[in-house]
Amino acid sequence: MTFVGEQRLATQEQRIIDAALRCIARWGIAKTTLDDVARQASCSRATIYRLFPGGKDALLEATVQAELARVFSELSRRLDEAGDNFEELVVAGITCAAQELASHEALQFVLAYEPEVILPRVAFKQADRLLSVVTAFAAPYLARHVGEEEAPRAAEWLARIVLSYTLAPATGVDVRDESSVRRLVRTFVLPGLVHHQQVRQ
Amino acid sequence: MPEDLTVRERILEAGYACVARYGLAKTTVEDVARAAKLSRATLYRQFPGGRDQLLREVITWETGRFFGRLAEAVAGALDFAGLLEEALLFAHRAIEEHDVLQKILVTEPERLLPQLTVESERVLVFIRRFLVPYLEREELRPGVEAEEAADYVARMLLSFIGTQGRWDLTDPEQVARLVRTELLAGVLA
Repeated sequence: MTFVGEQRLATQEQRIIDAALRCIARWGIAKTTLDDVARQASCSRATIYRLFPGGKDALLEATVQAELARVFSELSRRLDEAGDNFEELVVAGITCAAQELASHEALQFVLAYEPEVILPRVAFKQADRLLSVVTAFAAPYLARHVGEEEAPRAAEWLARIVLSYTLAPATGVDVRDESSVRRLVRTFVLPGLVHHQQVRQ
Repeated sequence: MPEDLTVRERILEAGYACVARYGLAKTTVEDVARAAKLSRATLYRQFPGGRDQLLREVITWETGRFFGRLAEAVAGALDFAGLLEEALLFAHRAIEEHDVLQKILVTEPERLLPQLTVESERVLVFIRRFLVPYLEREELRPGVEAEEAADYVARMLLSFIGTQGRWDLTDPEQVARLVRTELLAGVLA
């Protein structure tokens, strides 16, 4: 019974989070009100306050966490599909991450019109936190290939590539496109990862 | 025209001093005019967009000076790997010791970072142009072109200069290893 109850709660939280994402994609973070989200989710403001005590800030934080979890689970799926082939793993990881970022309408709206909200989290020292979250996720996948010790740095490297090419698109490189990523990976990344492996040995 | 340039330079320098003292939000055109010992009219003639344009150009100006100092610092390097090592060591230290940048990153990052992200495109072009001649002198791995290698290396440099992550960029040995693996393993023959 408890389980069913939690599931239902989780579903309603998710519906509110989805509504918040749709509002942000349309109006941005500053202009989105809890009334907007409530209307979009077909629930009352009171319900939102009950599920996210603290109101808008709490809802935003929960939305970020939920989206990170969703993207990581999508990444896991793609990385598992890539199997044991190292090149496939690296190409799938970069491509999938870049596609998730590019197709994320709420994120793209905020980056375009409210960059001051996001950039403090992805620049200079603050980026260490983001990099370490991504690294903690990706390192175990790389450990089989480059060893436990080198895996975190290798994972961080791939995260830097996704961030750089996503925030400042290059001419001739499209990190959302698998064949473009494969070329980038074969040219600049695999030789260095092999080098990481050699350093270990 | 040369006189204009001097006036412009004087305003930018005064603007930078004001930002260092009052921050981006509180610096006014009057503050900058007073610091530059010029009239407000002269400032508006140089920067018709007023305060917003002036502050934008102050940031562009200081970013340019920063990377100018960096380029100067590494000009004597013996080879390409050595150049990148020196660039990382110098730039990491220079960012840490850049009091105005550090202060604003704490007090008003939301005002600075959107502009620095816009700047980063310009900075990438600057680093790329700086690197290409060096790359053309090196023997590159088959299939690697100097231009694309310069773009890749410029991105990685910028990424590490801003955020060192798991590396210790004050340690020359770690920097040498970073350059050999993540920056150049795919570039040099």
